[in-house]
Amino acid sequence: MADTALDSPATAGHDDHAAGHATSTGLSNNKLAMWMFLGSECLLFGGLISTYMLYRGRHEGSPTPSQLYNIPLTSISSFVLLMSSLTMVLAVSAAQRRDDRNTTTWLTVTALLGATFVGAQVFEFTEFVHEGLGFTTNLFGSSFFTLTGFHGVHVTVGIIMLMALVGIISRSKFPGDKAEVVEMIGLYWHFVDIVWIIIFTLVYLIPS
Amino acid sequence: MTTNQTRHRRWALPLAGFGALVVLSGCAKDAPQDTWQPAGDNARKIDNLQQPVFMIAGLVLVIVAAVVGYCVFKFRDKGQAIPQQSHGKPALEIALTIIPALILVGIGIPTVNTLFKLAKTSDTQCVVNVTGQQWWWEYDYPVQDGCGGISAPIVTSGQLVIPAGQKVLLRISSRDVIHSYWIPKLNGKRDAVPGRVQTLRLQADQPGIYAGQCTEFCGLSHAYMRMEAVSLDAAGFKSWVENQLAPYEAPAAGSTASQGEALFVSQCSRCHQVNGILGADGTPVISRPDKYVYSGAVPNLTNLMTRTTFAGAAYDLMTQDCKTALWNTPSAQFSAKYLEGVSPECLDTVQLRQWLRNAPAKKPMYADPAKLVETGGKYRGMPNLGLTEDQIDKLISYLTERK
Amino acid sequence: MAISERPSVPALAGNGGSAYVTPSSSMGVFRRPVSTTGWRSWVFTVDHKKLGIMYGVVAMTFFVIGGCEALLIRLQLAAPNNKVLSAGAYNQMFTMHATTMVFLFVMPMAAAFANYLVPLQIGARDVAFPRLNAFGFWCFLFGGIFLNTSWFLGGASDSGWFAYAPNTSVAFSPSHGVDFWALGLQITGIASLTGAINLIVTVLNMRAPGMSLMKMPIFTWMILVVQFLLLFAIPVITVALFLLSFQRNFGAAFFSVEKGADPLLWQHLFWIFGHPEVYILVLPAFGIVSEVLPVFSKKPLFGYKFVVFSGAAIGFLGWGVWAHHMFASGLGPVSVAVFSVATMAIALPTGVKIVNWTMTLWGGKLSFTTAMLFATGLIIEFTIGGLSGVTHAVSPSDTQQTDTYYIVAHFHYVLFGGAVFGLFAGFYYWWPKVFGKLLNERLGKWNFWLMVIGMNLTFGPMHILGLQGQPRRMQVWTDFRAGEGFFNLAFWNRVASVGSFVLALGILFFLINVLYTAKKAEIAPLDPWDARSLEWMTTSPPKEHNFDAIPHVHELDEFFHRKYEEDEATGEIRQIATYEDIMAEEMAHADKHFHMPSPSYWPIILALGLPIVAYGIIFQRILAVGGAVVILLAMFGWSLEPSVADESDYEPPTDGGTTKELATLG
Repeated sequence: MADTALDSPATAGHDDHAAGHATSTGLSNNKLAMWMFLGSECLLFGGLISTYMLYRGRHEGSPTPSQLYNIPLTSISSFVLLMSSLTMVLAVSAAQRRDDRNTTTWLTVTALLGATFVGAQVFEFTEFVHEGLGFTTNLFGSSFFTLTGFHGVHVTVGIIMLMALVGIISRSKFPGDKAEVVEMIGLYWHFVDIVWIIIFTLVYLIPS
Repeated sequence: MTTNQTRHRRWALPLAGFGALVVLSGCAKDAPQDTWQPAGDNARKIDNLQQPVFMIAGLVLVIVAAVVGYCVFKFRDKGQAIPQQSHGKPALEIALTIIPALILVGIGIPTVNTLFKLAKTSDTQCVVNVTGQQWWWEYDYPVQDGCGGISAPIVTSGQLVIPAGQKVLLRISSRDVIHSYWIPKLNGKRDAVPGRVQTLRLQADQPGIYAGQCTEFCGLSHAYMRMEAVSLDAAGFKSWVENQLAPYEAPAAGSTASQGEALFVSQCSRCHQVNGILGADGTPVISRPDKYVYSGAVPNLTNLMTRTTFAGAAYDLMTQDCKTALWNTPSAQFSAKYLEGVSPECLDTVQLRQWLRNAPAKKPMYADPAKLVETGGKYRGMPNLGLTEDQIDKLISYLTERK
Repeated sequence: MAISERPSVPALAGNGGSAYVTPSSSMGVFRRPVSTTGWRSWVFTVDHKKLGIMYGVVAMTFFVIGGCEALLIRLQLAAPNNKVLSAGAYNQMFTMHATTMVFLFVMPMAAAFANYLVPLQIGARDVAFPRLNAFGFWCFLFGGIFLNTSWFLGGASDSGWFAYAPNTSVAFSPSHGVDFWALGLQITGIASLTGAINLIVTVLNMRAPGMSLMKMPIFTWMILVVQFLLLFAIPVITVALFLLSFQRNFGAAFFSVEKGADPLLWQHLFWIFGHPEVYILVLPAFGIVSEVLPVFSKKPLFGYKFVVFSGAAIGFLGWGVWAHHMFASGLGPVSVAVFSVATMAIALPTGVKIVNWTMTLWGGKLSFTTAMLFATGLIIEFTIGGLSGVTHAVSPSDTQQTDTYYIVAHFHYVLFGGAVFGLFAGFYYWWPKVFGKLLNERLGKWNFWLMVIGMNLTFGPMHILGLQGQPRRMQVWTDFRAGEGFFNLAFWNRVASVGSFVLALGILFFLINVLYTAKKAEIAPLDPWDARSLEWMTTSPPKEHNFDAIPHVHELDEFFHRKYEEDEATGEIRQIATYEDIMAEEMAHADKHFHMPSPSYWPIILALGLPIVAYGIIFQRILAVGGAVVILLAMFGWSLEPSVADESDYEPPTDGGTTKELATLG
């Protein structure tokens, strides 16, 4: 599915030539496609979250969730991810001003914040494994790692897209011609953020 | 148009009746799993509910077919002018939506009503635990006052025996994959889900025998996982219970059956339990199927010859003639006839021998010791034990006495 | 629009299409291929019409494979305790029959129609994302091939297309079959998801001027509903398949009952996908007959708005009925009651469609071409399937019917009598549009009648078999449980087996018809059926750019209304223009430049990486890394290739031609 997401910036490059063409809805093809893709993603995470909610109490053979979770650490990494949405907004607004310098700066900051989040997640995963919760240990382990792992992969794919975009913009001859792509990846990034807020609330904050 | 439609309706009803007649005459007589021939209260509730639904569905089909048929002949292109480009009549559309909606409400209310009646468990009088595993069913009767009183647990398989006229509660589960318990003449089906216990009511009006089949796909030998439910009158059921709980009688010393008993202990008792059987050292032999079989259970053979099937009811212990005679016994005599068990004359040794000679050839199972990596060396089914003909003779002679 | 531009290229309209294209031999990685002939023109194409044809050809091939599997099943069941197939082979056969027919025939065949026709019906020059479209096709093809290679690599999946846990766990299904099944469906799922996004954007964004949603052809409407169903259903099965693969390949515990797993989780996930899937399969066919019936009745679709809204209603309600597949699973009476009532409710919008089709016939001027025969046949056969569906909604009787042959009868009347009949109506109706030749009507009649007789002989008796107690998915049945009398279950099993071969003969007639038509020289008239919608307002087959001038739409059934007019005085319908008049008028304001996308190497390469990863997961993890590298490189190439072919990629025309633009397909 990441393929689909990655496809979009490339196609968007082509789209610029046709910027003058009106679409029936007034929304550009790329943005509409991204909205549709994110709609589909809702169901993907819906399924994963449901699986986790069903199985989170079944943790025989491992520490319980409340023993494992390091709420302060996860709160900080969640805050970092939340801040990355803010920097993403700054990148989008810079792109709309055709300010390529600031766009690439904010995109890079966003990617770095995202990478910090992923790093924290990797740290958290290793901690859990050390404390006795592996992927195969029990139902709680399998569903926890699957849900948060899928989200982590989404963030990682987002970081790759951000970095690729930075590369493309810095080689671009026309300032601001990738504004729509920035906006599209912004949509994706905010979506992944919102999903994390839901996961953070359901998984970490509401005790089972 | 309306006159045309009334004309259609006039011959639609007789046509529906005729169609139903054709279908009914086209059906098998006495198909043992016929869902339209209920033999107990629960199945009858379902049948009473579904008969009118089938009638209505048939009638709707006849009406649609008649209207389409009429159009096909009446409006065929015979050079008529191009018709008006009308985009429809909302009033007609709405009417033709409301009518089926009313019909569905008419079907829906009794559906929900029946559904809750069938789900009721509080008024049942007798409990049997039913456990599915690849590819047979185990029936165990807990100690209870119900069923006319059961003083010690009974474990059997192949045939579910219940007292006629009583409301029996089956508590259904599974030891491996999902199976489904279904005796069509007594009730609809209920899945046997591992990790869950689900309930199903059964009640047979008369003593008799009713066929069933596992109806949730459960792997390789799904087609061979059958069941039979036997209902006995109150006295008959009582003597069946007494017989099941009767102490073990070892074969006469020195007889062929006695040699068979020793062979059973050495070859079969690792998995198959016969209650009360003693080993060479005089201690009771307790089988450990959980060590050898993935589901952890195999059929208990204590009273094998009181039931008329084996191998997950895939095969009969009786010859076809004896079986037909049993199934056709009128209900008044049925209990006595069934309690005779499998007499030596009726025993179908051909099937049983084939089974003992090479069970996996008779019923598909995972029994090749070289291919049990995924189950940690445990079988799913019964392996080929490599018995000699002489050993088989002795075993059969021992088993024939298990009544 | 996302369709990329070529450097300005003169229009071909009217110059007879005598253009020359001589692609250069260079295979520059970051150039775009330019071949317009030979295999390259197909393998690297991004043209929605070529992709539509390829979807159709591949889906038809899988239809034949799935059909052969069905014949083997019926041979095995022709006699009691038969030995044509072993238990293991039989279980694989019915699993793959269903999987093939659902995922590799009906869905992609609907995609074939959608791909080819939707842009034409809405007056667009291509889909919104042409390369994504090509990528989807290759995912479907490679996924389908991947699934079927399991036959030769240790055995196909033997757990049924529903794959109920825990029977799919390694302990219970030790071959790699289930792995192939799960990963193969994951790959074809990517095809469905990308296709859905692509078509939704195309339909919503690229309609011809004046074509409001309520002036859209009904086929396009039904396809739009289906794409939304796919958009939301595919991720659910994706989750389920991931859980299954993680369980089997990485030791996760999702379906391990001994660790406390609940086997019903799989059933819920599968049917939340699986029930919308039923409508995904059947709604495209509904769209097709809703096009065919009006054309051959010379009337608009009766209650167009009702058909649109009922289609959308089915799309919504389809999400609330999944548990009717689980009435015997033990959900508890309250859930069962809710899903019973919801299932009855969905019968209403379905019934609306049958009423509207019938009323379209009423008072029409009906000509029974083969397409019309299939469409009319569908009304009756689907009604049978719909009505038996209502009997399952009555949940207590469903506990008698479920998992018996009655269900097999029901869904074959829905999917064969509904979906397949619709697709065949579409073949006969749109064949001249796609290939420029009419399928033979005489062979078509044989095709139709053998299929009608065959399907009723095959699936009709299954109602009796099921109601008299024959469960499905059984390798053998016995004489004893077949009952007595001449018309016992043994008799009906034999009838069904004979019927299946009659049905196969009918389909053989179709294939013969295709070959016969391909050989004959006769070219079809451009408007052979006196059709009503935009796809007929261009050449047959259409040029690569579909329309020389994008038509302006004023009415539902625009093409018909340009040809005919109602005399206000007498109310008579009379012809005011011919096809030629309309085309000449369109030609007069043909566009000067067409912006068509160049072919691309990357969709097929990207798709090729997926089965390599999947083989790697099953057999040798290092191979998966190799596949991932292919995927990454393809994405890199995809992103960096230019949006059009370079001038230098084309060799100068040799024959004094003035254009390097593509020749028309015709």
